Amino acid sequence: MKKLLIAVLLIALLSVSLFAGGASEGSEASFPTKPIHLIVYTGAGGAGDILSRKFVDIASKYTDATFVVENKAGAGGIVAMEYVKSIPADGYTLMYVTKSNISKLAGASEMNPTAEFDWIAMMQIDPECVITNNKTDVVTWEQVVADAKAKDGKQLWLGPAAGGLDNVTAERIWKAAGIKATWVPFASGGKAKAALLGKQGVTYTGNPGEIIGKPDFSVAAVCLDERLPQFPDVPTFKELGVLGVENEIIWRGFAVKKGTPDAVIAWYDDLFEKVNNDEDWIATYAPKGNKLVHYTRDKFNQIVEEDYKGYLEAFGK
Amino acid sequence: MDLLSNLVTGFGYLAGVQPAVAIVVGVILGILAGAMPGLSPSMGVALLVPFTYKLSPQISLILLGSIYIAANYGGSITAVTINTPGTPSAVVTSFDGYPLTKMGKPGVGLGTSLIASTVGGIIGTIILIFFSVPLARLAVKLHPAEYFALAIFGLATVASLGGKNWAKAFIAAMLGLLINTIGIDPISGVQRFTFGNYKLFDGFALVPALIGLFALSEVFSRMEEYKLEKGVVAKFEKANWPKFMDYWKLKFTILRSSILGTLIGIFPGAGATIAAFLSYDVAKKSSKHPETFGKGNPEGVAAAEAANSSSVGGALVPLLALGIPGSATTAVLIGALMIHDVNPGPLLFVERPDIVYSLFAALLVANAVMLVLGLWGSKLWIKVTIIPKKVLLPSILAISIIGSFAVHYSIFDVASCIGFGIAGWLLKKHGYPAAPIVLGMVLGKLAETNFRRAVLMGGYSVFITRPVSIILLLLAVASFAVPLMQNRKNSSE
Repeated sequence: MKKLLIAVLLIALLSVSLFAGGASEGSEASFPTKPIHLIVYTGAGGAGDILSRKFVDIASKYTDATFVVENKAGAGGIVAMEYVKSIPADGYTLMYVTKSNISKLAGASEMNPTAEFDWIAMMQIDPECVITNNKTDVVTWEQVVADAKAKDGKQLWLGPAAGGLDNVTAERIWKAAGIKATWVPFASGGKAKAALLGKQGVTYTGNPGEIIGKPDFSVAAVCLDERLPQFPDVPTFKELGVLGVENEIIWRGFAVKKGTPDAVIAWYDDLFEKVNNDEDWIATYAPKGNKLVHYTRDKFNQIVEEDYKGYLEAFGK
Repeated sequence: MDLLSNLVTGFGYLAGVQPAVAIVVGVILGILAGAMPGLSPSMGVALLVPFTYKLSPQISLILLGSIYIAANYGGSITAVTINTPGTPSAVVTSFDGYPLTKMGKPGVGLGTSLIASTVGGIIGTIILIFFSVPLARLAVKLHPAEYFALAIFGLATVASLGGKNWAKAFIAAMLGLLINTIGIDPISGVQRFTFGNYKLFDGFALVPALIGLFALSEVFSRMEEYKLEKGVVAKFEKANWPKFMDYWKLKFTILRSSILGTLIGIFPGAGATIAAFLSYDVAKKSSKHPETFGKGNPEGVAAAEAANSSSVGGALVPLLALGIPGSATTAVLIGALMIHDVNPGPLLFVERPDIVYSLFAALLVANAVMLVLGLWGSKLWIKVTIIPKKVLLPSILAISIIGSFAVHYSIFDVASCIGFGIAGWLLKKHGYPAAPIVLGMVLGKLAETNFRRAVLMGGYSVFITRPVSIILLLLAVASFAVPLMQNRKNSSE
């Protein structure tokens, strides 16, 4: 009798698990059956790490899926991308990405971004801008231009690494405005900003959100079509007559390995759409000057391709 | 006075269960993270950031600040007991801390490092509280030419680090500088010695190199002795802890190192390790018995620990006063604050004094808590030295591998740690010290990038036209030449 009972129980268990297994293959709504690893190319505590963890936190409102944030820092994102490339395209490995990764790939790697990855969700557009120290005589864009002309190439622009996104943006601005200047790379944006506070240079190239809480800084001009609602007094380069840099931005988003099943990407589309409309997400990132968007893979892949081409051109490749 | 009343309010804020728990938990986690090779203070803080999402910004900062303070002390525990610096700055602590242990006096090393850390931490915090605004204004004025001069000044300490062995120490420092040239050139973006391998784009990470050079090389040397059956690191009848008078004798060393440590901590990019090296050098030069440094002089332990703990207060100066991170750890703290929509900067003192002053109060309390927990914990740590070698050495090996993996979760780091271990063991066999390699690795990037940055900004003359730069460079020449001449004089006599 006892044996029979055990046998019945076993059969019942087996059929339940079979049924469950079958169901999970059939329907996209139940995509993750195991934890999803979110690969972050910055170290723990970096801006990208914090954004990724915030995303995971908000995503947990809309899905029971478990996300595990894994930091694979190094070589400006190449370490993380090489890692994701080496892993099966089953959707269980998601990667946090920014436009900086594209400039790094174009500058230092043979990897083609759209050949290796599917760029599935662009979530933030953060315009580049030129920041000045308002305790100096060079605060507005007009003053920057006049100073640059007086110094004839010796005006100092401070910022992070040479050949990085901000450096390329600065060079495009110089070209568009017809001025010459010298890029002074620092180990990090923070150290470059410290030097700007110490009046060691004239400008810092970064994003508008970086001046929040720092009254000594002003934004001279921002790379956008129209003024940012969060910074209504800041002029755009376009209205100042500097044309062709309206699209100098840093975007942030997520990618997966190329070949990830469509059903899985559809599951992600749904989740990213919900996060994009989430109050907490908006309250955290909108005030910093970001435009919050949700571009899905067709549009995002196209943007990545264009950015990649632009960087290859900028580096003379 | 505004500041004092704000501070009283800050202490008032700590009167609750939550802040008290945050401080105690922070200090315990900090000590453990510091003691674990591979977990630097910045990683210890970073690992806890996700747990602060649901806490208030005050409690988050109190917790993370306590970890930061305690981690700098924690690094000394393993440096003293098993010659495995838990943090980069504790390398300097091991110079005299480990010889003390080998002499059977681990209590002296542990006690001195705890007291020096506590006093250093408190002095650093007090300087932070009273002088953060003017000091921050000074910090941003420091030109790359002056950073370069500071780095050269730091490198010049190799002459006194090496003692009679100065030539070998010099070669070791050069090796460190050369290792630093591997990776993407920070100024031009060109790849150097990477052989196209992306794993070398950032060069060799400091922490795995450090663990290899110190911990693994020590394990390899011990394995050569073959007599592992009964041996322990140190034999002692009874743990002899220093008496109050022993500490009192160190008062000037601790005070001087604390002030120096705070000042160096203020400058973005300098940091705890350089602070420890420089104040060790100063302590040695102003000691009555410089010849005992490196052989178990408590003054050496006190100088290193007071400097690295006080640099925490210094590093918080630009963070709070300007909203600019001066160190890896403060960069993590900025991120943690921004999660709570708190933007560090000069306005923070006006808009959110509750956050600033509760942190100040918490840092002072955390130092006191660290003293109590440290005194209690030291009785436990000291037992590490009586673990039989056949248990201890494999454990160090295992910890080293886990620690070097933990830095970037990378097997490449583990392999480079083992490589540095073998190199360190071979170098040690031939009388080349490991510390100058670390000095070269820490200061090489600072020296090179700032040299080139300064030239970009002001041409080659900038090093002699800026007074601070030329004074530091002349001091560097003197601090390099004087010990060498003394050595020559001694050997010719």
